[in-house]
Amino acid sequence: MRFPKPLPAAAGVLLLVLWPLIFPDAAHIQQVLGITCLYATLALAWNLYALTGAISLGHAAFFGLGAYASALLNHYYHWSPLLTIPLGALAAVVFAVFWAMGFRRLRGVYLGLASLAALEIPKTIVDNWDRFTYGSMGIMGLDRLPSATLGGLQVDLGMDLQAQYYLLLGIMLLAVLLNLKSIRSRWGWTLRAIRENETAAAALGIASNRERAKALLLSSYLAGLAGALYAHILGLVEPGLVFNLHLSVLPLVFCIFGGSTKVWGPVLGAFILYPLEQLCLLPLFPMGHSAVYGLVIILTIFFFPQGIAAWLPRAPKSA
Amino acid sequence: MQRIRSRPGPRARLTVWLLAALLCWANQPLSAAQEIRLGEIDPLSGPLAKHGQEIHQGILYAVEEANARGGVAGHPVKLLSRDDQSKPDVAVNQAQDLIFRGKVAGLVGGYVDSLVGPISQQAARHRVPYVASASLQQAFTGNKNPFFFRVSCLEGIVQPLCQFLSQTLKTKRVALLHAATPGATEFSDLVQADLHRRDIATVLQEKFRPGWPDFSVFLLKVPAARAETLISGGFYGDNLILVRQLRQRPLGLKAFIAPWGVAYQSFIDEVGQAGEGLFGACAWSPGITQPGTEKESQELVAGFRKKFGKDPNTTTMHGYTSARALLAALETVLQEGAKPTGEAVSRALAKLDLNLPMERLAFDAHGDPRHYQQVIVQIQKQRLVVVYPPERATGQVDFSLAAR
Amino acid sequence: MWVGTPIIFSGLALGSFYALMALGFSLILSVARVFNLAHGEMILLSGYLAFVLWQFFQAPFFWLLPICSLALLALTLPLHYLLRRLPEPYGLNSLMVTLGLALLLQSLLLAWFSADYRLMRLDWPAVAIPGLDFSFLSFQGLLIILALAVTAGVHLVLQRTFLGKALRATIQDREAAQVAGINVNQMGLVAFGLGGLLIGLAGPLFAQNMYLYPAAGTEATMIAIVVTIFAGLGRTRNILLGGWLLGLTQSVAVFTMGSKWRELVSAALLLLLLYFRPEGLSLKKER
Repeated sequence: MRFPKPLPAAAGVLLLVLWPLIFPDAAHIQQVLGITCLYATLALAWNLYALTGAISLGHAAFFGLGAYASALLNHYYHWSPLLTIPLGALAAVVFAVFWAMGFRRLRGVYLGLASLAALEIPKTIVDNWDRFTYGSMGIMGLDRLPSATLGGLQVDLGMDLQAQYYLLLGIMLLAVLLNLKSIRSRWGWTLRAIRENETAAAALGIASNRERAKALLLSSYLAGLAGALYAHILGLVEPGLVFNLHLSVLPLVFCIFGGSTKVWGPVLGAFILYPLEQLCLLPLFPMGHSAVYGLVIILTIFFFPQGIAAWLPRAPKSA
Repeated sequence: MQRIRSRPGPRARLTVWLLAALLCWANQPLSAAQEIRLGEIDPLSGPLAKHGQEIHQGILYAVEEANARGGVAGHPVKLLSRDDQSKPDVAVNQAQDLIFRGKVAGLVGGYVDSLVGPISQQAARHRVPYVASASLQQAFTGNKNPFFFRVSCLEGIVQPLCQFLSQTLKTKRVALLHAATPGATEFSDLVQADLHRRDIATVLQEKFRPGWPDFSVFLLKVPAARAETLISGGFYGDNLILVRQLRQRPLGLKAFIAPWGVAYQSFIDEVGQAGEGLFGACAWSPGITQPGTEKESQELVAGFRKKFGKDPNTTTMHGYTSARALLAALETVLQEGAKPTGEAVSRALAKLDLNLPMERLAFDAHGDPRHYQQVIVQIQKQRLVVVYPPERATGQVDFSLAAR
Repeated sequence: MWVGTPIIFSGLALGSFYALMALGFSLILSVARVFNLAHGEMILLSGYLAFVLWQFFQAPFFWLLPICSLALLALTLPLHYLLRRLPEPYGLNSLMVTLGLALLLQSLLLAWFSADYRLMRLDWPAVAIPGLDFSFLSFQGLLIILALAVTAGVHLVLQRTFLGKALRATIQDREAAQVAGINVNQMGLVAFGLGGLLIGLAGPLFAQNMYLYPAAGTEATMIAIVVTIFAGLGRTRNILLGGWLLGLTQSVAVFTMGSKWRELVSAALLLLLLYFRPEGLSLKKER
């Protein structure tokens, strides 16, 4: 198992932390990179579950549940987002519990499909429960991220893009740390053992279902957190928006694109693809940007083929 | 198959440098001049591409029309178009980019309310006027946002529709099918409430997710509920299928009416005979224009046809109208010799009163259009005939044709 | 007329449509292990080709089927060769390449055909069944018959021919098939070929059943994925059964519960199935 050399990673993090101080007026870049951090957090959340060998296609469910739970708490009780966001993410965990119970026996492609189908459940319920969630109309006018006082300094997280960027960067780095800790710990070895060969792992006394479930719960909480943040940054939620399939596919794309370095893979993927698309492709090619995006993906896979090979079990299974 | 060794080190380093270079490049302003720049954000790709492209063409035409006349008070106008991919975070990113890098004097466009909302908030925050082309929902203009204006609103569709159903069609029981989008859902709620006030019962109401190709099972339920009229809150593609399936199995309905997607010549061409007698609603169409703007409308159609090779339609006109509003406001400000700041242009927009082909454009205190009213049309002999309101009618309702 | 008849018929026609869309995807996935995310866009390409032939050359519908079917080979066979050159990990990398291809194709379709919705306006006569007081559209009947015929055809190829036996061996256990002397790469080629024919066949049917627009590919790919895994990998007969089950469930759900519950009911059905049969509809385990 290869670990990223500390130097490039440290240099990268330093760059991410320092650049807003060099270009303080680049609000549009702060916006884009802030959202990049958010998506990178989602990808890292997905990654955590993928460590067990499970390729989930339903993480948008956790994202959406976190977003909606936070939105509903904010809308009905007017609690501050600083409270509703961490609480809202718990809704995702509740759903993950049902997941873990229901999908115990599923592996591989079937698990992926089940996760895809499972996305429909919260989506349709939220969409149809008009009285509570306002159904297809969604909820608008959510509170922005509030001002916080940090050691005498008043920081407006909602309005000040720079502050928002640092918040999102911080959360992403926390997710990175979480992933690093999970991988390098004894628990991380357990997860890898489950991924490589479940039968052998069982023989070693590892309760694979229980460990899988733990990874899933952690993963779902992070994804829910990302969703809740998204809701309060945009100020609105809508079923079609936060339970969207592209949010399920996004982590997959970032992780495969980003490379085999397990923790930094999703981060790399997010930081290459999203700003590229938003800052270069969309302005330069208003009409043909997705063709260029598609070409970039195809060419990159051919020249840099190391995907998340390490995540998949080596022994070919029937699925 | 070669197994290429992975070397995260150099690749990661390369990425970091690339990202840094990208950041530096992305921070450069786009070239300035004495030109005026307008930013446009629309769904140019994806499922809503048809509508987004039409709005885009309308806006583009308005800009080129202005440039052909020498620009806005002598300044050439440049349009910067961006695709929002129907995602709000992308819309916000592009709005920011247009404001900071593009240094646009105003924003225009928008097809979906969940994108218009976030963009309008950026507009307010950075004090840039935004004229939305196709926003409908009521909640937006609740808070006073002095920088947000829109050329359309749901009331302008719901009111004529319900009046037509009650006064002209004189129907008592309707079935309502609408798409599971915020705009269509709000439309459905408003229509039901309005019809209820007029003693018309909504006996069947269903919501479907757009993209579904088969309404035949839903249509089975309509006669069972003894509905007389079917209202479709679906979009162009959905109506294509509904109309075709209605033809296959007639339900004994008095009428089929769809505010979105029917009142287009291209729709008539696509469905052919099956479209005869259908009711739709539109704000404008070639030949259906605000009284007093006939000449302008004809010139517009001719010019548009010459440039794009096809006729403009009501969606195109929404884009055109919103662009015209912004251009007129800019003209006013520049002619006074003032700088086109956000506040100045927004003030000019608030005082606007233009007689355009689509509507008499004036905004109220909330940024809503004061005089936006769609007309109800019926497809007769492959043409759109206005049947309501009476003062704009160009023909009579053909009840026998309307029956499905 | 019992109200159930049109519902069941509608469900079967819809299910047949689903099955026809999924067959090509399933074959390519089972044999070549390629998760072709550009599947929907390829169906659309075939559909647009059918549209062009219908609009400009007034080609009759029944000619469109074989023409478009063969035409797609020009796309799937080169794709096979392209994907063969991919380094490890093959599965995920081919997924990404096909994703990129899907984006590329979507953009091309947008550029060539614009975003307008295209409809193939053909008149299908209604067919009345003398005994029951029920008439259906001949196109729906065509869907059902085609689905049966194509499934039977594929089934025959797989079960009765030597090539089919080799394909089945590759589906069941790639390594063992290789050991047994089967050229799995060639089997991949065959799968892409057959798959291409099936995708090409689905194109005009998609165009006729729905309408064409460049972004419609995603829906089609989703349907193919769902039905394929519903049926279990490599089980061609089950695809028809799975498609029918899905179509019927959806039609009944729309009738009894309303259109807004359709997706949830299908998802619930899928989840129940996966809960009780983790390997899909297969009656016997693959290994």
